[in-house]
Amino acid sequence: MAVIIISSNSLPKAAQIATETAKALNYRCLGRELLREVGEKYGVSEERLHKTLDELPSLLGVNAKAHALYLAYIEEAVLAKLSQDRVVCHGLAAHLYVRGVSHAFKVRVLADPSELIPSIMREKGVSPEKAAKDAKHEEALRSRWSLDDYRVDEAAPSLYDLIIDLSRMLPEKAVRMIMETSSHPKFKPMTYSVKAVNDMELASRVRVALLEHFPDVIVQADGAAVVVETTAVPREKGKKVEAIEKLVRSVPGVGHVEVHVANDIIRQAAESFR
Amino acid sequence: MAQRLEVLLLDDEPIVGKRLKPALSKLGCEVEIFENPSQALQRIAQKAFDIVVTDIRMDEIDGIQVLEEILKKSPRTKVIMITGYAMMSVAREAMGKGAFDFISKPFSPDELRKVILRAAESLGQPMDFDATRAAGSE
Repeated sequence: MAVIIISSNSLPKAAQIATETAKALNYRCLGRELLREVGEKYGVSEERLHKTLDELPSLLGVNAKAHALYLAYIEEAVLAKLSQDRVVCHGLAAHLYVRGVSHAFKVRVLADPSELIPSIMREKGVSPEKAAKDAKHEEALRSRWSLDDYRVDEAAPSLYDLIIDLSRMLPEKAVRMIMETSSHPKFKPMTYSVKAVNDMELASRVRVALLEHFPDVIVQADGAAVVVETTAVPREKGKKVEAIEKLVRSVPGVGHVEVHVANDIIRQAAESFR
Repeated sequence: MAQRLEVLLLDDEPIVGKRLKPALSKLGCEVEIFENPSQALQRIAQKAFDIVVTDIRMDEIDGIQVLEEILKKSPRTKVIMITGYAMMSVAREAMGKGAFDFISKPFSPDELRKVILRAAESLGQPMDFDATRAAGSE
């Protein structure tokens, strides 16, 4: 059965639809409660993990380096659960990093503005005008967040298999529609798509192992083979390759490692001016 | 003794057939290999195979057309698609049109063997995985 990933312009609405869909299908529902597990594993407060998912990196909040690291922790935890199948996932940005997986059925739920605005008014104790402005601001922030971290606007329709507008449909009908559409054979797991998730899961574990020491790495996995791309100045290349290879080999499931190093032109130029 | 599975293997790269035929034969399958999709379809018109393993990207007739033709003639046949150009859209199209599974190349004979075993089970002719593995390693 498919993995279902639900994204929304309203976190509570995504949670509601995801919970009801998971219950109706007898799937595991995976949401923000996973952050507690992630926080305990890596010694990071849940609050900072929430901030990572909700805010842009900042000096007063979560800085850029920690932001990237925490996102890697979250991705690793989510991908480990998704590789077990039969999951409805929401609130963890999985729609942005689970890509090219044919059995991951992605749904965008658009909250009914007539419900969204009053809920912001209640939550923040603000006027309808301010609530509408806040909703717009939040959407712009989400677009920027997703573009900065994943180079894709999460509001882009092309990212989803199904878009549901709750101002035109009751939540119960939305759940039925998700259930029916996700049962189409084209969303069935197949050897290729299961391998795609497993490859992403291994790559995510390798990234977590590397990011603290090497924040500029790009990691890809294919079966047990892992390719790491990074940059270095020529005199550091050998040492860096060796250190990366050592760390990658310590990750369970890795068989073969390749490290591709491009010249760090910016650092090289900066050093030549010293 | 259980009935042998009739398998047709279609790939325009001769090496694929050469490499996979022995692995599938050791599983206890009767295997016919084809490099030309038109000839494979002619054979399929004559005989209903239990399993067809077909490449997707081929000249003249592609694997999706082969899939459609097979299922028109023999809906019970399990069609396994293999490709070196795996893309989500093609994978979904193949599964949506009734493929049993979709595998990206390169893959090991053992990976295909696992899929064949699932197909056999789905056809009501289950095979013993350990026994077939032992046979495969001979």
